[in-house]
Amino acid sequence: MGGDKTGVMTNRRMFVRILAASLKERRSRVSIAFFSIMIGASVITALSCVHFDVSAKMSRELRAYGANVFIGPKDPSVARVLDARVVAEALSLLPAKNMVGASPYLYGVVRLDLGSAVLAGVDFSGLRRLSPYWQVDGRWIVVDFDDRSCMIGRALAKRMELKAGDSVTVTKNETGFHRKLRIKGVVETGQAEDERIFVNLALAGRILGQPGKVNHAMASVVSEGADIGAAAAGIGARFPGLEARPIRRISYSEGKILDKIKGLMVLIALIVLMVTTLCVMTTLIAIVAERTREIGLMKAIGADDRGVAVQFLSEALVIALAGIAAGLAAGFGLAQVLGQAVFGSRIAFRAEVLPVTIVLSLFAALIAVALPLKMAVRVVPAQVLKEE
Amino acid sequence: MFLAMVRQSFLRGRRRKALAVATIILAASLITALMNLSIGVGDKMAKEMKSYGANITVAPNSESISLDIDGVDFNPLKGQVFLEERDLPKIKDIFWHNNIIGFAPFLKVAAEVAGADGPVPLLGTRFDVPLLLSEDEEFRVGVRAINPYWQVRGRWPEDEDRAGVLAGAELARRLRLDVGSRIAVRMPGAERLVTVNGILHTGGPEESFLVAPLPLVQELASLPGKIQNVSVSALTVPEDRLSRRTRNGSDALDALEYDLWYCTAYVSSIAHQIEEAIPNSTVRPIWQVAASEGTVIKKLQLLMLVVTVAVFIASGLGISSLMITTIMERSREIGLMKALGASEAEVHLLFLAESVVVGGVGGLLGCAGGAALSQVIGLSIFGSTVAFNPVAVPVGVAVSVLIALAGSLMPARLISRLHPAEVLHGRR
Repeated sequence: MGGDKTGVMTNRRMFVRILAASLKERRSRVSIAFFSIMIGASVITALSCVHFDVSAKMSRELRAYGANVFIGPKDPSVARVLDARVVAEALSLLPAKNMVGASPYLYGVVRLDLGSAVLAGVDFSGLRRLSPYWQVDGRWIVVDFDDRSCMIGRALAKRMELKAGDSVTVTKNETGFHRKLRIKGVVETGQAEDERIFVNLALAGRILGQPGKVNHAMASVVSEGADIGAAAAGIGARFPGLEARPIRRISYSEGKILDKIKGLMVLIALIVLMVTTLCVMTTLIAIVAERTREIGLMKAIGADDRGVAVQFLSEALVIALAGIAAGLAAGFGLAQVLGQAVFGSRIAFRAEVLPVTIVLSLFAALIAVALPLKMAVRVVPAQVLKEE
Repeated sequence: MFLAMVRQSFLRGRRRKALAVATIILAASLITALMNLSIGVGDKMAKEMKSYGANITVAPNSESISLDIDGVDFNPLKGQVFLEERDLPKIKDIFWHNNIIGFAPFLKVAAEVAGADGPVPLLGTRFDVPLLLSEDEEFRVGVRAINPYWQVRGRWPEDEDRAGVLAGAELARRLRLDVGSRIAVRMPGAERLVTVNGILHTGGPEESFLVAPLPLVQELASLPGKIQNVSVSALTVPEDRLSRRTRNGSDALDALEYDLWYCTAYVSSIAHQIEEAIPNSTVRPIWQVAASEGTVIKKLQLLMLVVTVAVFIASGLGISSLMITTIMERSREIGLMKALGASEAEVHLLFLAESVVVGGVGGLLGCAGGAALSQVIGLSIFGSTVAFNPVAVPVGVAVSVLIALAGSLMPARLISRLHPAEVLHGRR
């Protein structure tokens, strides 16, 4: 009490003093309240961080299904081949940060030692990211200018009695191409690839006599945060001879599955919110409820109901704000742990998380204080003080 | 005496207990629901993933290599091998027949169409026909079940109608066809006048095909009862080390491993069983669908698991703080007990007994709540109920008792620090 010279204690100073004293004196209670709010806030933060990021992350996971954009000639009956340069330019119109992989394709029929087969020229480094589901026995071709190697489909390999490491002679009479190629790997997909032989695009152009040409291209683009349909339409508008379209089977399914996952996450997040809110509330209710005697004393020395309510609410607000600040930090850390554990990548912090956490936690804290307070305000001082 | 004390302590802090029980009920119901979902989500999502199309393909065991580029075949029809349509029901007789969700047969030939300047691929298939099985379960064969991404403007042709077809969107644009157009389809030795019932959008090569009911195509090509390949959609479990070893044939396994592999719903073992069931067939997984499905579902299950753990921790801490406040409140009571000669262990036991009762009651009620909750979630997201896993009940109860106990362990340390004289005098 030595701090004030006038000897008159103003209401406001009394208020601040009580606030400070009650926070200091009741350290154990305050720390419990603080921690419960912090836990609640951090769970809310972590879940909402994950929730806002889950579709982007899942969308990337779903790229395992391969290409979702097709770029080809507008009218295949007029021209079956396109300029490789034009196609590369068209691919560069797709959003670069969302691009997972892309490859052009050039097809033709060639003769092998024991019969004919379809030969496909591709860009192997792009294809490997484009079609991660290829089951390869042996190795992928890694160098773009490798014109001595090929990869071969499993069914074709079986039919031609070949395996990884063997050599196969590729012949094309029209261009006079005749050369032995080493088989680096045997591919199995269960689809058309199983009956094809794959070489680098430049080599395919030489073999088939169509240098610098491609039939079509495929790309795998993360759909979250990019309008693939619009990007595809933009390509069609810029290059009149080209048509770009989303591959329906892949994009349709992806949309459906992402919707389900989002729905699941929203529901789970909601339920978790409820539970954490409830936990915080029960704790705070218990803490406030045991202070009825204090309220009786306050009233006995002349505090009115409003004064008591303001006193308690501001106490709760101080604790809650501190808890929320700590919870936000802890929750963001927790979100990173979740992100690493599940997706093996960081989870971005989004501004939307802040209002969600702050509003919800404050709401929970204030409700929790208001409920017992309503009861406590009604106490008759004489009754509670007499119990001593 | 001990029981009397427990009863007494229950009757005293009734409101506080109700709060604790309510919290545990909620936490337990949530954890039960999440567990139920984590177990069920794989199957549910696997069903959703079926929208990517078939994951197994059945082809005739042939020596020839197809020279098919973008739906245009550079190989004449001569010397082709076919499968028999009458063998198809055998797919539903295999060991894993319950995992077969659907299949559709295909027969592709090249036909002359008036107005087209080259042969047009004509694809015969089944759209949606019931398959009669020995057990009277409803099973429908056709592309509508296995390729939900096929979109038709107009209407689907009738399977038994030999005059209605679908025209691929791109072909329709080229030949200027629309719903209701009539076209003549010619093949060596046969000609039919058909009506375009609908325009087909698939985003794939089928857009330049004519898609017709299978009997019509078999008749035109004079291949009665023959089909070229079958697409099968099956529910599978993700591949692992064991199934990868069978890539080059199942001989790589010893007898015990072989049995394990055969009796697990890997895509490779289901394919192997279909191959055994259908004569002269080669059955392969479509890895684009089969390989990716596993990775995505694994991720999802992991996500659910991690969230469940987070909930567990959060509710445990919540209960813990609740228990701490209870003990602080009753510190005078504890002081009195100690003053009357109760040992520390006895006081601990009293509080632990309370939390076990609270946890058990809350857990049981929570399990019921969780079962209901998981059904609500399942219905609202997947439109079907989640199978209730009985294992969730004991686990749920055990978990809530554990939460309650864990929550009481920390405050129990507070008990030992209480000095009777201090608390009874009123200083805390």
